[in-house]
Amino acid sequence: MRHLLAREWWRMLVLIAASIWLVTLIPAVVWAQRSLYGAAVDTRMAALAALGSVCAVGWALVPVLVAGGDDTLDPRRFTVFGVNASRIMPGLVVASLITLPAIFFGFMWLTLASSWFAEGALVGTFALVGALVQTLSLVALAKVCASWTARVFANRRARAFGFAVSFLALIVFSYLAWRALHRGLDVLFETDFNVLIDALAPTPVVSALTAPAAAANGDWALAWLGLALSIAWTVALLVAWRATVAQALVTPIYRSSGLRSRPDAVVTAGKGVPFLSAGDRSGPAGAVYARISRAWRGDPRYISGLAAVILLPALFVAVVVPALDLDPRWALAAPFVLAISIGWGRHNDVALDSSALWMDVVAGVRGGAVMRGRFAGVMMWSLPLVAVASAVTAGWAGHWELAPAIIGASCGALGASLGISAITSVLLPYRTPAPGENPFGAEVGSVGAGLVGQLASSAATFVLLPFVIVPAILAVVVDSRWGILATVGGLGLGAAIYVYGLHVAGRMYNARAGKLLAAVR
Amino acid sequence: MALRGLTKVYGSLRAADGIDLDIPAGSFYGVVGPNGAGKTTTLSMATGLLRPDAGTVHICGIDLWQRPDAAKPLLGVLPDGLRTFDRLTGAELISYAGRLRGMPAETIAPRRDDLVAALDLDSAAGTLVMDYSAGMAKKIALACALVHAPRVLVLDEPFEAVDPMSATAIRRILIDFVGGGGTVVMSSHVMALVERLCTHVAVVGAGHVLAAGEIDEVRAGSELEDRFVELVGNEREHRDLTWLRPS
Repeated sequence: MRHLLAREWWRMLVLIAASIWLVTLIPAVVWAQRSLYGAAVDTRMAALAALGSVCAVGWALVPVLVAGGDDTLDPRRFTVFGVNASRIMPGLVVASLITLPAIFFGFMWLTLASSWFAEGALVGTFALVGALVQTLSLVALAKVCASWTARVFANRRARAFGFAVSFLALIVFSYLAWRALHRGLDVLFETDFNVLIDALAPTPVVSALTAPAAAANGDWALAWLGLALSIAWTVALLVAWRATVAQALVTPIYRSSGLRSRPDAVVTAGKGVPFLSAGDRSGPAGAVYARISRAWRGDPRYISGLAAVILLPALFVAVVVPALDLDPRWALAAPFVLAISIGWGRHNDVALDSSALWMDVVAGVRGGAVMRGRFAGVMMWSLPLVAVASAVTAGWAGHWELAPAIIGASCGALGASLGISAITSVLLPYRTPAPGENPFGAEVGSVGAGLVGQLASSAATFVLLPFVIVPAILAVVVDSRWGILATVGGLGLGAAIYVYGLHVAGRMYNARAGKLLAAVR
Repeated sequence: MALRGLTKVYGSLRAADGIDLDIPAGSFYGVVGPNGAGKTTTLSMATGLLRPDAGTVHICGIDLWQRPDAAKPLLGVLPDGLRTFDRLTGAELISYAGRLRGMPAETIAPRRDDLVAALDLDSAAGTLVMDYSAGMAKKIALACALVHAPRVLVLDEPFEAVDPMSATAIRRILIDFVGGGGTVVMSSHVMALVERLCTHVAVVGAGHVLAAGEIDEVRAGSELEDRFVELVGNEREHRDLTWLRPS
């Protein structure tokens, strides 16, 4: 930790900022404890079950999505030392418990559990033990989720299976959410919520927090059963964690796709690509396009990015609009969300392609060609996707007359956001997982720099996109005749920002060539 | 290639501290130095991979950092420690390097085939680079550096991880290249290799050029390795690791 902080000073800033943020949460925790202290047993149990469940979901998902904060605990780092899992597990567990999130959650559970002292010292003490067990189980849950995700994405077949399972889970979740929300928020909170809490409370995920309720009611056998369940769950998670550590210690990262012989598809690639000029197709831009198209087809980091941008608008149209009984015209926002997500998602495009950077740099002044080739690779799939999504959504919403406006403006939004991202990807690159690594991970030391890059691209997108989108909104809300301006203006402005963005990014790429490599390698 | 006052500072570390080197056209120039001496930093600055804090680099009289469009086509570069885009096959990577240099497909294809054959990569040409061994990856990166027939080749540890057969092939290619009027600048830790191949050598230590010139001049009558140790001043305390003995 000391060396890490000495090497990357800004980490200390992130650490201080995180500490300050957590300290500001303490009054809320204390307020919650005092409220729970005065509440009825059932209310206290329901509140802890709800909070425990939400936190468990968070602890399961967050390490998967923002891994890479610190890789010193990565068991692969110990592979060459010949130690077995049993020897390093105690160290890994202790190290995981002295992280800021673990300390804060430990404090939070202990504070909230102390509200059970309202039912007597014995129940309160019992609850404190449960709070400690809950903290350990969350830490173990996070480790298991993060390490298993990494394993799933370790080879192509497992990756495909993982994506399929995730997609299936998403459909099931969407359906359940749709069913739940469709009945209205009032019903959801008055009935479904209570049913859900009653179902969750005895599960081992939160039973360490809810078991004191049984003790308070005098049913100590049930209370001990709840705590025992939670302990068993925690032990099971620790065993699973140990198994992944043991596996990681003896299994090198598998990146091979198997020996397959392919013909040279690069030497003449680029012909017929509509987003490149004739000169570009046969030149360096065509080669970059060919290379990046290969990445979009086979690199999990790119594929996961593609899946992620489709997810949000799909959920919005399929679940949120019908469930909240919104006017169908709200669905017309989905293609814009899709377009902006795709465009904004490329804000670190150059860093994602870090392994190709040195060849591009030593080849000479090719920034413009590199950027045009890279973004042609994005346009090839994203422009048809956004156009089709716009048309389908307009039809689904029953407003075919608005289809040209939505198509024009959303494609314009795509072009504009890609143009902005082209610039930020050169100006503010930050380290990303290297090819073959967990696509949901973040390279060590990248979190702070990533925030700056994301904020900058978000701000630029926020400033420029209204010019493209507002005519389309007016066409939907005020008068469909605004659609002409939305179509023509959206396409024109989007194309202009796209072309200008790539031009500026290319020039910056050439000027920063000697610095880019150091920034992303 | 002429380097003047090349300087790169990382915090309190002066990785390169006013490096001056004149590398004659047609020479086989070795750059040697202990680990952390600044060899890779210097070569990175000399090839456009790392912007120097101060100093200039001239390739055939052209300022690399002022006119990279004119200077970089003259250079072929094999860096060390940089990951290569590995989702292309070996043959595709060579084609990619050629196309980046603006070469037409009809010129690239025969050169690609020649390079693949010369570097004994025929059977692996259609395999993804991600499936290559370290030595094969090094050879394909060398092929990428050669495909546009540069005037100056800058190679950082070109023989590292390469098997003896391939090393022989690479040596032959490089010697032919120099024989044809090309210039090779090569960093290495292997003194015997430098002594055997190079016409000139520069000894770098702590970011400075400690000695440079024709190899006999630098050797000054002794073995290069001895001279190297003498220049670097590396006669540290010899500590006997008695605990390491098996019995």
